[in-house]
Amino acid sequence: MGLLLTVTVGLVLADSAIVTLALPEMLQELDASVAEVAWVLISYNLVLGVLAVPAALRRVRAHPRALAAIGIAVFAGASAWCAAAPTIEVLIVARCVQALGGAFALVGALELLVARSGERRGVAAWVTAGVVGTAAGPVAGGLLTEAISWQAIFIAQVPFAALAVPAALAVREPVPADGPAEEPDLAHRPVVGHNVTLGLLSAALTAALFLLVLLLVEGWRHSPATAALTVSVIPVAALAARPLARWLRPPPDVEVAAGCLLVAGGLVGLALPPSADLVWTVAPQALVGLGLGLSVDQLTYRAMEGRRPRARHAAWTISSRHLGVVIGLAILTPVFTADLLDAEEPATEAIASLVIDAPLRPDDKIALARALGEELTGQRGQVPELSGAFASLDVAAEDRAAVDDLERDLDDQLDRAVSLAFRDSYLVGAGLALAAMLAVGVGAVVRSARDRQRPPPPSGLPSRATASGTEVGR
Amino acid sequence: MIAGVRVAALPAVALALVVGVAGVQVAAGGGDFRPLAPADACGERAPTTSRAEGIEGLTEQLVLRGVDDAACTLGVSREALTLELAQQDEPTDAQVDALRDGLRTAVGEMADDGVLPPSSSLVDEALDGADVNRLLAAAIRALPDSVIDDALPTEDVLTRAVDELDVRAVLTDLDDADALRDEVEPAVMQAVRDELVDRVRNLV
Repeated sequence: MGLLLTVTVGLVLADSAIVTLALPEMLQELDASVAEVAWVLISYNLVLGVLAVPAALRRVRAHPRALAAIGIAVFAGASAWCAAAPTIEVLIVARCVQALGGAFALVGALELLVARSGERRGVAAWVTAGVVGTAAGPVAGGLLTEAISWQAIFIAQVPFAALAVPAALAVREPVPADGPAEEPDLAHRPVVGHNVTLGLLSAALTAALFLLVLLLVEGWRHSPATAALTVSVIPVAALAARPLARWLRPPPDVEVAAGCLLVAGGLVGLALPPSADLVWTVAPQALVGLGLGLSVDQLTYRAMEGRRPRARHAAWTISSRHLGVVIGLAILTPVFTADLLDAEEPATEAIASLVIDAPLRPDDKIALARALGEELTGQRGQVPELSGAFASLDVAAEDRAAVDDLERDLDDQLDRAVSLAFRDSYLVGAGLALAAMLAVGVGAVVRSARDRQRPPPPSGLPSRATASGTEVGR
Repeated sequence: MIAGVRVAALPAVALALVVGVAGVQVAAGGGDFRPLAPADACGERAPTTSRAEGIEGLTEQLVLRGVDDAACTLGVSREALTLELAQQDEPTDAQVDALRDGLRTAVGEMADDGVLPPSSSLVDEALDGADVNRLLAAAIRALPDSVIDDALPTEDVLTRAVDELDVRAVLTDLDDADALRDEVEPAVMQAVRDELVDRVRNLV
């Protein structure tokens, strides 16, 4: 039962990025524009980010079993609706409903996991499921899209969520453990510093979780399955973060700051690939995954540690993360789309240069130039596929090797132009990660100053020291 | 673990990993993975490796040098000018003038570089492709090379051909090899005729 609830938490958070690799297929099948397809991502994150905190209102929170069961059922139903959506508009609406159910499912599942396994293990399972779901979402989505279709992403979630509904109802209704803090006037205020850091870091991670996938599929023209396997480095590296933290036992703020630094470094590495060979993305992704594993769960614990009502503070972390994703998309999308447009001219000139200087007969060059022109015009607005122009070229057998070399060289020029177009977005993402690191430092200084002035907490409230999140889940 | 080490160990490991990864990426050429930059149209350019021979090869080299000179005059790269010409319905007057001047300059440069073939080496190919009486063609083929080379210096014929050429029509048909041939061949034949007439006039 606990496992089903944990899987559901992972699914709800994986849905934030799970459709990334399916976007090109949705674009074609639903006859949508790029902007409309982007809303499949944005709408989910926006609704989850906005509704997470209201979902944790006191009256709703008082019945976590019903809250979780209804939320999961809505999530399951909306997932099925997403799969059946005939138009992009219906899909976006279904995604909003999916996020609505997801918000209640997350809040309710936290309370049920704590009721079932205790504070420490319940919170740890909830946080870990979120980190793994966030990191593994694009991988799962890519594999399902390649193996079956984009609809499979949503259909595959339905049975897990459907089984989680009775699992939620079977958990014994928890005894309110929040005590006096249930009273609004005694509730803790949200931890602004950690939540802001979480938001900034989520915005930065958008570059790795969304843009990298886009670069691999749309830019470097790999299949969704290849892209999915490539980005699996991130969740694998995220899993390695805990053993590293346990070995070095850094203070929590230091762990988060190091995580932010690793994410920033990984994004700088992604901004500087020496070629379009996938191997050059592995080490930078490992840094991002390691950074994600060190920082996101630690920040989530720290934002929730010793704070009551627990569900509301958990909801603030969900809100920060998903609004961070929306902000990341809002900042990065115009940067990389503008850079992609700017890349068109140098790419076309590089292609023209290579065709002019190619060791081919003038007639063949003219025929190829005309075919390339038609391909480039026909595929305006996306990274062009040049193989059609070469397939239509009728050359003498002795010139075939030169034509093959030219096609390889032109593809290389496209790879170079696209990689350069993504560079600024990765660097902006790295800047956001460094801003998150700065926020950790500022937050630590502010907390230290406040702790020195603060009187000891009243006995009814668990203090941050006694319910220290630094020990939760470790 | 000592408190200081606990504080410093993870950041040190993180920094080492970041510097290591970014360093390897940059050392392997990460900063230079960008599209080929167009060469300066006014600078020296290595001759293009051509698969074409004879008149076609000569025309290709002439056009490439001419486009380079025209691009230099117009202050753009050879690639930018080529793309502009391919995308426009009609070339501008400035482009037409720059290309005609560029082709003339290219003929002079090729003559100075000693890469213009003697006209006698092109006669057979020219007669094969031209609509000339068979008897006349046989008579021309029977002429000694030195007579042909004296009567039709390649540089003079090409310069005349450039002057005869309807550059605007050529640029409009840039993506049609057959139409280009139909534009260039009459201009070359007219240039040969004019050159011969001039020579005869001078003799008289």
